Amino acid sequence: MKKIININFHGRVVPIEETAYEILQEYIESLRKYFANEEGRDEIINDIENRFAELFSEFLKKGANCITDADVNTIITSMGRPADFEQDEMGQAAPASGAAGNSSSSNSYSSKAGSEQYAGQQQGAYQQAAEEPRRLYRSENDKLLGGVCSGLANYLRLDPAIVRILFALITFGGFGLGFVLYIILWVVVPPRSLVANVRKRLYRNSEDRVIGGVASGLASYFHIEVWIPRLIFSLPLILGIITSVFRNAWFNFHGDIYFTGGFGGSLFVSYIVLWIVLPEAVTASEKLEMRGEKVDLESIKNTIRGDMEGFKGRAEKMGNEMKERFQKVGEDVKQSTRSFASEAYPIARKTGSGIGHAIGVLFKAFFLFIAGTIAFALTMALIGLIFGGAGVLTFKSYILTGFWQNLLAWASFILLLIIPVVALLTWLIRRITGTRSRSHYLGYAFASLWVIGLICFICLVGMVVNNFRSRQHVEENLTLASPAHGKLLIRTTSAKADYYDHDGWFDGHWDNNGTFYNMNEDSISMNTIQLNLVKSDDSAYHVRLLKSSLGSEPRVARELASEIVFPIQQTDSILSLPRFFTVTSSQRFRNQQVVVDVAIPLGQRVTVNRNVGGYHWFNIDVNRRHFRWNSRWNDRQDDFWNGDSDDNWGRSYSWSTNTEYIMTKDGLVRTDKKIRNSDDGDDDERAGRPERKERVEKPERREQPERPEGGSYRYKGHSNKDGDSGKPKGHRDSAAVKSTAMNDGPGAPVYFLSALVNL
Amino acid sequence: MNIENTQSQMRKGILEFCILSVIRRGEAYPSDIVEEMKAANLNILEGTLYPLLTRLKNADMLTYRWVESNSGPPRKYFCLTPKGEAFYGELEATWNELANAVNTLTRRTQGLGETNTN
Repeated sequence: MKKIININFHGRVVPIEETAYEILQEYIESLRKYFANEEGRDEIINDIENRFAELFSEFLKKGANCITDADVNTIITSMGRPADFEQDEMGQAAPASGAAGNSSSSNSYSSKAGSEQYAGQQQGAYQQAAEEPRRLYRSENDKLLGGVCSGLANYLRLDPAIVRILFALITFGGFGLGFVLYIILWVVVPPRSLVANVRKRLYRNSEDRVIGGVASGLASYFHIEVWIPRLIFSLPLILGIITSVFRNAWFNFHGDIYFTGGFGGSLFVSYIVLWIVLPEAVTASEKLEMRGEKVDLESIKNTIRGDMEGFKGRAEKMGNEMKERFQKVGEDVKQSTRSFASEAYPIARKTGSGIGHAIGVLFKAFFLFIAGTIAFALTMALIGLIFGGAGVLTFKSYILTGFWQNLLAWASFILLLIIPVVALLTWLIRRITGTRSRSHYLGYAFASLWVIGLICFICLVGMVVNNFRSRQHVEENLTLASPAHGKLLIRTTSAKADYYDHDGWFDGHWDNNGTFYNMNEDSISMNTIQLNLVKSDDSAYHVRLLKSSLGSEPRVARELASEIVFPIQQTDSILSLPRFFTVTSSQRFRNQQVVVDVAIPLGQRVTVNRNVGGYHWFNIDVNRRHFRWNSRWNDRQDDFWNGDSDDNWGRSYSWSTNTEYIMTKDGLVRTDKKIRNSDDGDDDERAGRPERKERVEKPERREQPERPEGGSYRYKGHSNKDGDSGKPKGHRDSAAVKSTAMNDGPGAPVYFLSALVNL
Repeated sequence: MNIENTQSQMRKGILEFCILSVIRRGEAYPSDIVEEMKAANLNILEGTLYPLLTRLKNADMLTYRWVESNSGPPRKYFCLTPKGEAFYGELEATWNELANAVNTLTRRTQGLGETNTN
């Protein structure tokens, strides 16, 4: 009793026995595999199918009710099986192959086909396979890389998919151990065309599934209850629920979250991978294959044990074989070196065996390894980008202007990053599932899309860089009221120094000391602010603000610079600087900067509060050579990235926070050092005067104890000298004159001290 | 040295030549080609023929046209292109040369054998 189904075969309705249909399918599939490397594969198969259709309609015309197993087998015999083609092309003449081929190697094809005779024939195939001494080979007809896995699977009579997955696990879990092992096996194990001897295959069970049928497929493979794999796969979910319940119930529960996370993640990934990799059991024979003979550790052990028993006998044989093989390898090496010498053709081409083969293999493996590493890095980058994507998206609107730039940005993002990942996934899935289409169109399409993406990216970079081409600055000068005690405290507006704990989620992606203080859709708060302490030219505190910005042209840059709002407040001795300035999304980020030069008069003190340390300076410079800043700015532009505000720029002095400084002739000096040598303070007080004057004064003071009475003379001479120079000193001399005049009296040192204290 | 291997090598070389010569006589349907070759005692599997035809077609040696058939789907009838014609001419020349050479050689050895036995 057989079930008859109607199929639409090349435009004809053909009634066919279900089993016959399966035989047909199997045959077509075997042709597909055989012609996998053929350029016109689809056409060839189409032609053959056409011929089938024609013969079918002939059968039906002759009065057959339906197409039977026998009919299909007859046609297949006259067409020839892939094994026969090989013989036809490589081996004996056709008529012999028709009979012989059918009974020998093509046995496996027919054994898969008829479901009733399935078990019996399968048995036959095994016996046949067991008759010849079983050895480890690399499979030539079913391989992803070198056929090592499928060879192993053949040896152990397992589904190649399982061995492959295990190998992948060893490789990823064992830090490349699997990779090394694979290479060794690849080089050592000889290749051979192997007949599939799998008793059962891992399928996804389409009949009994919750999501993808992976769990029930696994269950039927290992002959276990379905709930076991299901429970294992859903374990992370359950554990997650439990832990979250616990966490909510007891506030400080930090239990196995990490365990659940990592474990659950890998389980989830393996489910997805299995879903992709495993074919679904659709046809009856596939379902039979899925349940198949029981495969467990015991049966694998038995297989190996059976092998080991024959091992002794074979060991001697092996020894001889090995000897022969080494000799052969030696000959091969000799031969290949000879051929290498005669032709400049690479030995790697000689894929027969021996050194050349090993080199070829190593090259291939190396290439794949590199490709894999690159692919992995790309994938990681993409994942990172997806997670950080929102932040990048927000930031994007500050960089890009106009429709075209946005379009280019999206195009380059998708083409440059997504395409390789999609291509990689397609490639992986193809390799794993064994669909090996030889058409390179997909590859070319991916490659050209990627190149387009690259071009987009280059254009985008060009356009964006153009927006950063010109730097302009706007200067603003303020004079501060002199603080009461000659001491200025510089700090930022916020009283709390809470710079280090922002709670914005975005900040996590940047360094905590990052440049962007805060960012949202409307505005970024920038702290590219630099505080310089310089010497004042007169006796007042001055503040000079240099607001600068980049732009596509000077006008735009200047406009942007003038739009920076940076209010400075002074309340008596406290100078409050804003903690950041704001750049709105309409202004866009153009590396706006603010330089605050605080000019401190001589002898005045200054302290910089610790929270000023929150400023972070950096400079974007796209065309260094075209910059023409004024001389003062020249000192600064060499600093491309300087997060450290402590640097000593040309005329500004280095300072650190929360330290009191005093401005002297030589620059800023810490006050604690200062008190120790008051003589220096003496000099410093007159730091603003021309040196000539000091030269005159210093000897005078040294002479002081010896000839007190000569002081006035000296003073006169001194004033004469001034007159000789022809340049009246003006107001700055008045203090000096006064102090030199005081030198005559005994109270002079006291004056100096008191002057010092008054600072 | 494997006799089967040698035989197949010999067969392989002339297979294309034979197929082309059958098609050259007029438009041909693949199963006709198989029949004709079988009649000439040169067996070929249909499954081997289709790929060969496709390869030849892709190399511009052959073209085909669809012919409606009353016993099933339309059939592909193959015929030679000018390029295929030229290719066939070359093959034929080579074959004649080879056949001559082989004939002369084998005849000579036969002759030698005969003289020896005589």
